[in-house]
Amino acid sequence: MLWLYLHFPHLLLDHLARSQETPAAMVTVASTSQQVLQVCPLAQQQGVQAGMRLKTALALTPELGIVHTNSTREAELLEQQACWLYHYAAQIVLYPPEGLLLEASSLLRLYRTLPALWQTLENALASRRLTAWLACGITPKAARLLARQNLGQCSDDHTLLAAQVQELPLPATGLETRPLERLARLGLTRLGEVAALPPRELARRLAPETLAHIQQILGQRPDPQHCWQPPHRFQQRVDFMQEVEQSQGLLFPLQPLLNELEEDLLWRQEDTDRLQLTLHHRDHSQQALSIRTAGPEHRASAFVELVRLHLERQPLPAPVIAMTLTVTRFLPRGTTISRDLLGENEDPKEAWQTLISRLQARLGRGALRQLEPQADHRPEKAWTTAGLQPQRRKPPVTQNPPPRPLWLLPSPQPLQQPPQTWLSGPERISSGWWDGERVQRDYYSALLTSGQLAWVYRDDQGHWFVHGWFG
Amino acid sequence: MSDLLNTLIHDARVWQGRRHGLARPPSHSTGHATLDRLLDHTGWPVGALSECLIDRPGIGELQLVLPLLKQVAESERMAFWINPPCIPYAPALAGANIALEQVVVIHTDAPGDTLWTLENCLRASVTGLVLAWPGNLASRDIRRLQLAAEAGRNVCILFRERRQARQSSPAALRLELEARDDRQLQVQVLKRRGGWPGQPATLEIDGRLGQREPSAPRVITGPWAGSMG
Repeated sequence: MLWLYLHFPHLLLDHLARSQETPAAMVTVASTSQQVLQVCPLAQQQGVQAGMRLKTALALTPELGIVHTNSTREAELLEQQACWLYHYAAQIVLYPPEGLLLEASSLLRLYRTLPALWQTLENALASRRLTAWLACGITPKAARLLARQNLGQCSDDHTLLAAQVQELPLPATGLETRPLERLARLGLTRLGEVAALPPRELARRLAPETLAHIQQILGQRPDPQHCWQPPHRFQQRVDFMQEVEQSQGLLFPLQPLLNELEEDLLWRQEDTDRLQLTLHHRDHSQQALSIRTAGPEHRASAFVELVRLHLERQPLPAPVIAMTLTVTRFLPRGTTISRDLLGENEDPKEAWQTLISRLQARLGRGALRQLEPQADHRPEKAWTTAGLQPQRRKPPVTQNPPPRPLWLLPSPQPLQQPPQTWLSGPERISSGWWDGERVQRDYYSALLTSGQLAWVYRDDQGHWFVHGWFG
Repeated sequence: MSDLLNTLIHDARVWQGRRHGLARPPSHSTGHATLDRLLDHTGWPVGALSECLIDRPGIGELQLVLPLLKQVAESERMAFWINPPCIPYAPALAGANIALEQVVVIHTDAPGDTLWTLENCLRASVTGLVLAWPGNLASRDIRRLQLAAEAGRNVCILFRERRQARQSSPAALRLELEARDDRQLQVQVLKRRGGWPGQPATLEIDGRLGQREPSAPRVITGPWAGSMG
């Protein structure tokens, strides 16, 4: 078996740097101590090192960004990385807070050679602007230890890999301090020297767990792994080093998220019509934006346009410190019909969706309506509006309908003066006794002195109203 | 340079006395013989704005656009009604054989939204016709809409008030509509591309009250005339 381990030396800092337009030096610090834990490359260039006191680091780089570690955040981030890594490898094991283990021997059938797989992963990491140390190992633990020391080599030669592990200094083997001290007192410094001792003696002098650990590193004892299963949703979060106060400022960090979503949807061969964008404010309140498209969509450019329109409509109530993009609704991807070979004209269905989505994003979903006749004799109930649907439906056509005006007034207006000419009528409409909105009216069409052709009626009390115009 | 001149001449934006009647800008027939004759058989201009100036709804203005509306809906393109003054009545539109699934009614709240919506609808390739009641528009707004209509090669008809007839407008066609009676509408061409404005003409618009025998008694006389007093 061959295992590949990805160690992220400063994942949280890489993640923060992705949302910054200009890179800044940053370090992570545990919330309880004053010691620098992780250092970003930019801070490293300025002389900051891990293990330094925070005061020293600040003296070296006064504008240093300080990030407090947060184990749940880091676990979430790691899972975020596992999501995209799943596109390349099926068997992934999470090692929170900073590592991912891949089972590589089965992948070699797909990628043919180990360098090809290695290069694919390096490219994927570089495109996401992530730093990771890769290492191969014949056991999961060996790969992990080598990666953590940044000693990884792109090789599937078992003797070479075994020799590399034997050369590991004991403090780098993940043993606890007590057995480490004991071994040091015995004069042992490298893992190979410990491995050469008889196991029975080792178990007697050290604890059995220590022996198990060493044997697992060397592959002399089974080390079962639990593979990670990707969730059936897309969720990515971006944190900001500086609070974002303008909604326009959210668009830049959103772009990589949407690109990631496009890639994910492409990989799933699915579309979506609903994005959930959650903005996190400093006081732990959240603002949820629901962005809907008129039809299945997967292009990042279309999404970013809709989000922009949404954000323009509602200003931010408070500065934003983080943003999460979630997609839980996936639709099977339909085939696009392009009518011309050269792709000069847009697909009409796609153009329709783009236009309607844009209009709905700016005006609200209720602003766009389609008309539909309804089977009712009362004129105000003989029509209805419906939200827009991409599936076109044909309403039934009535044969020889009585003349109806093209304009209907939202509510009947009293007739102010007698009409100039009476043209047709009466048409009695008496209906609606069953739902309490009974009407009994005699409808006429008449030309008013203003020149308008009106649809007027007299109700059962003898009052006259205008109900529509023959436009 | 000659390309530019050719485009100008082909679009009939420059009126040429010598070749009068040869240049034909793209257009849709209005479906009314009299109006077509009045417009020198050019009809509604495509890729340009048209304005209809009317004072109040109900004088037959929609009869003018119904043939175009039908044509657009049959060609499976969208017809947008933006901020209509009353409710477009679905049974009547269905009765006029207009495919309602191609008709979208949009209501906007802010004036900025109205212009934005108009511009987006006009630029889209799925749009065939935009009917809009935009209210007050500045001349530069109309210019923007004109450019959008050109980009999308769509027909756009703006319904505006008659007092705006004096205001200059970049629209390609301006018609002033005045009521005559139930079967006639007076149309005056205030402006059109490649031609002179014309005399007022009377347009026959029957069919507003359905097909009727002209000789048949149209109203049953009754007590209602008296009850109005």
